[in-house]
Amino acid sequence: MTDPIAPIASGSSSSTGSPNSAGYPSSTGSPSSSRGGRRAARAAGEPTPPSGIRRIRLPQKLRNLELALLLFACAINAGAIVLVQLGALGAIDTQLILLGAGLSALVLALHISMRFVARDADPFLLPIATLLNGIGIAMIYRIDIAEGDTGWDSAAVRQIVWSAIAIVCAIVTILVIRNHRVLFKYTYLSGLVAIVLLLLPLVPGLGDDHDGAQVWISIAGVMNFQPGEIAKIALAVFFAGYLVRNRDSLSMVGRTFLGMRFPRARDLGPLLVVWALSMAVIVFQRDLGTALLYFGLFLVMLYVATGRLSWIVLGLSLFLAGALIASQVLEYVGNRFANWLNPFDPARYEAEVGGSYQLVQGLFGLSNGGLIGTGWGQGRPDITPVPQSDYIIASLGEELGLAGIFAILALYLLFVSRGFRIGFAGQDDFGKLLGVGLSFVVALQVFIVVGGVMRVIPLTGLTTPFLAAGGSSLVANWIIVALLLRLSDTVRNHPRLVIDG
Amino acid sequence: MSQLTLLVLQIGFLLLMWVFVFAIVYALRSDLFGQRVRKLQPDAAQAGTPAASGFPSSPITPGGGTRKPAPAPAPAPANGEIASAQNARTLVITSGPKAGAEFPLGRDEITIGRSADSAIIIRDDYTSTHHARLMLWNDRWMIQDLDSTNGTFLDGSRVSVPTPIPLGVPVKVGATTFELRR
Repeated sequence: MTDPIAPIASGSSSSTGSPNSAGYPSSTGSPSSSRGGRRAARAAGEPTPPSGIRRIRLPQKLRNLELALLLFACAINAGAIVLVQLGALGAIDTQLILLGAGLSALVLALHISMRFVARDADPFLLPIATLLNGIGIAMIYRIDIAEGDTGWDSAAVRQIVWSAIAIVCAIVTILVIRNHRVLFKYTYLSGLVAIVLLLLPLVPGLGDDHDGAQVWISIAGVMNFQPGEIAKIALAVFFAGYLVRNRDSLSMVGRTFLGMRFPRARDLGPLLVVWALSMAVIVFQRDLGTALLYFGLFLVMLYVATGRLSWIVLGLSLFLAGALIASQVLEYVGNRFANWLNPFDPARYEAEVGGSYQLVQGLFGLSNGGLIGTGWGQGRPDITPVPQSDYIIASLGEELGLAGIFAILALYLLFVSRGFRIGFAGQDDFGKLLGVGLSFVVALQVFIVVGGVMRVIPLTGLTTPFLAAGGSSLVANWIIVALLLRLSDTVRNHPRLVIDG
Repeated sequence: MSQLTLLVLQIGFLLLMWVFVFAIVYALRSDLFGQRVRKLQPDAAQAGTPAASGFPSSPITPGGGTRKPAPAPAPAPANGEIASAQNARTLVITSGPKAGAEFPLGRDEITIGRSADSAIIIRDDYTSTHHARLMLWNDRWMIQDLDSTNGTFLDGSRVSVPTPIPLGVPVKVGATTFELRR
């Protein structure tokens, strides 16, 4: 393992911009000529071969590293399912392992298509996403066993099918979008798409009321979909394009107050519009988490685009004010706050509607897990309501323990840091903002849902990216993976030189 | 399945997950801790600060390691041969703040200007946002001035229409001069 990684790492890091490269992302190769060969030729001091001679195909170091990690991740995934079966059933059943193998084949198909269309893409994103997805499937399967669901009733089987759809979507994305700058042309169209997707669940006949939150649409009663998940990608594209076009007026003018430069009143428009949008989500769709996600995404992208802290201050105070008012006026928000502050109050614990039963059961589960967990299939995560979607992190915490949860959080951390790195190394402002926005939305979503389960912030219903049962979430997050891969490939493919006079 | 076996398997699984995490961190290590500093070759070290010498101070590949220093002030092959996709390999900055830096020539056009999406970004007071571009026309490298304020100069004369660039002839954009070499 050590040997192949060592030379590759220097290649990978230098291309994402090593600290000493002052704005030089460092790849020599243009798409047609590959850098490895050039470097080798230079190192040997040989004259470059006359062109017209077809270049020999060079080993794709980044892709080989990705393949190694991918196989490792698939092995862990298979191990997780086997352990679930050993722990919960006491025997090995090959059916689901075969389905899982089909999934591994699809992930490998994505890998192979990247060998052709995105040779220089980041090698870590795909293995991390694969591992998280597989652990999620294993946990959902474990809960199916506890609840006795088999066949199409089984959420795990459905999750596998959705994963397959999601990975196919990712393959299509990476094949169709050859350069992220095409998205820049569709800035306002994607803004419109985002609004339409957000409004879809409110359309009578299409919307599907699920646990109080109106964020689902149901097509013919069979296919349930949460359009808000896809909307977050469209919103990230829209915000990136919009901010690149307009950031000068948002960042240059304004008056200084308390050491911060505040924007002019008329430049507050976009902030207020997005704020109103998220408040509408809170009021009409009764979904606190999604509102927080969209608004946080916008704030961070605004901050990255303009570099001004005053936007964060203004935005956070707006959101906190809105959330406080909502907690007084709207009953469901008030309940969430009360559960967060006093979950162990018997009145709250035993409340029929909007009580803290779920939250407290999750906490009990986590404490039952302890340091190394009860082991796959040996805890009781099924006592908690919705243990396979919103509460999957508590289920995993019970069976894998603190050690397992931290490994999962470390995977998210690596995923998000790669995303930021890609944004950081990007050359055009749109790509930078899009990279940061897409990875931040994953980070924020993990924070909102894990923080909610662990009582850091009030509990809000959101899916844990890649882990939780839910098709729309999987599709959206795999498309995010595909977009980040595409971004990282473009970043490396175009050499650049910065001269500061 | 005894409890002990399951416990061992569980610990093994957790270890495997952490091995995966650390495999990624290990592969990323130079990204996290910076790259190992390589010793300059003795002759280059004697040449003083790289930027002052003709030594290419910042080749586009910092990881390039053992690449040979280019012959310091390259002899300009003033034979007037037009740079083409076949004979020109690099763009070398010959004067200005980044003198000595090289930029590989592929087949893509190279935009020059102050904007962040240019291929060569020159931030000084004389360069326009979209100043000029180099592109391949019929396999020959041409320079086109993009209506810049202070102009682009090929061998001292201002470029008004797309002009083919001979090898080794200086092109001036703002305070920076570069030429195309083999």
